[in-house]
Amino acid sequence: MARAREVPGFDCEEPFAAAAARVVRVRAGEVFEHSEGVLDIDEIDHLHDMRVATRRLRAALEVFGDCFPRKRFRKALKKVKALADALGERRDRDVEIEFLSEFAEAAPEAERPAVAARIKSLREEQRQANEDLAPYLEEKRLGKLRRRLEKLVEEVER
Amino acid sequence: MKARRVEGLDRDVPLRPNAARIVATRLAELLALSGAALDPEAARAQHDLRIAAKRLRYVLEITESCFGAEAETARKAAKQLQGVLGEIHDCDVMLPGAGEIESLQTLLRTRRELLFQRFRELWLAESDRGTWSALEHALQA
Repeated sequence: MARAREVPGFDCEEPFAAAAARVVRVRAGEVFEHSEGVLDIDEIDHLHDMRVATRRLRAALEVFGDCFPRKRFRKALKKVKALADALGERRDRDVEIEFLSEFAEAAPEAERPAVAARIKSLREEQRQANEDLAPYLEEKRLGKLRRRLEKLVEEVER
Repeated sequence: MKARRVEGLDRDVPLRPNAARIVATRLAELLALSGAALDPEAARAQHDLRIAAKRLRYVLEITESCFGAEAETARKAAKQLQGVLGEIHDCDVMLPGAGEIESLQTLLRTRRELLFQRFRELWLAESDRGTWSALEHALQA
């Protein structure tokens, strides 16, 4: 994942709320830019990139939480957390499968079947995690989250 | 681990003083958790420290330009800490799944020990270098 994008017009001397709007808008945009190919288990970097972008958005929301209308903020944060959790469940399996696949090549002959069985079991968990994640990535749902975040930002800008 | 509430934030006041309060709180959390995490067996404390490092890293990622080079140095150190503690956590998560695979258990335990040493050295080096006190100082400037 590349470094977080620069926030245009970011200024340490502008009001906290104005900075909140700038930062959250950019961080939210990064999440949606990385939503392609996330369910592809042969290209696990796509999911990793979206997860990192989601983590940055969540961090920005938490930093600037006091600037937003409480109820709307809580709902938005809850949605972002749920997406982050679903991405995290898949990512945990990706990491373990990758680690064990490398380990399998160096494992003692006698233990290779057990390692293969563990990888197989993790593949099943990965498939399940992908199935649980898929609804979060549907165009309609992502669009709703995008509009929710946009409204949040707009309320601060008023 | 729930983040400590930051008191005294004001949406109409410039970003810099608000950010200073947030960074100071996150740094205090990190420092408060470090003692327990330096026990090699304290997996939970190391996990909590990882979360604290992550929170500090991300708030600095947003606001470091308000506090100069010391903040950038601290952000990089927090990122490194988060990375090594994350790898330790991966070992802790994978160990129960290793079941009867002895070679895997041995690998994960050895790897964890090495990673813990790396974490300890990193923490002590950053403390000796004055990374955290320099950040505290920069927040007050």
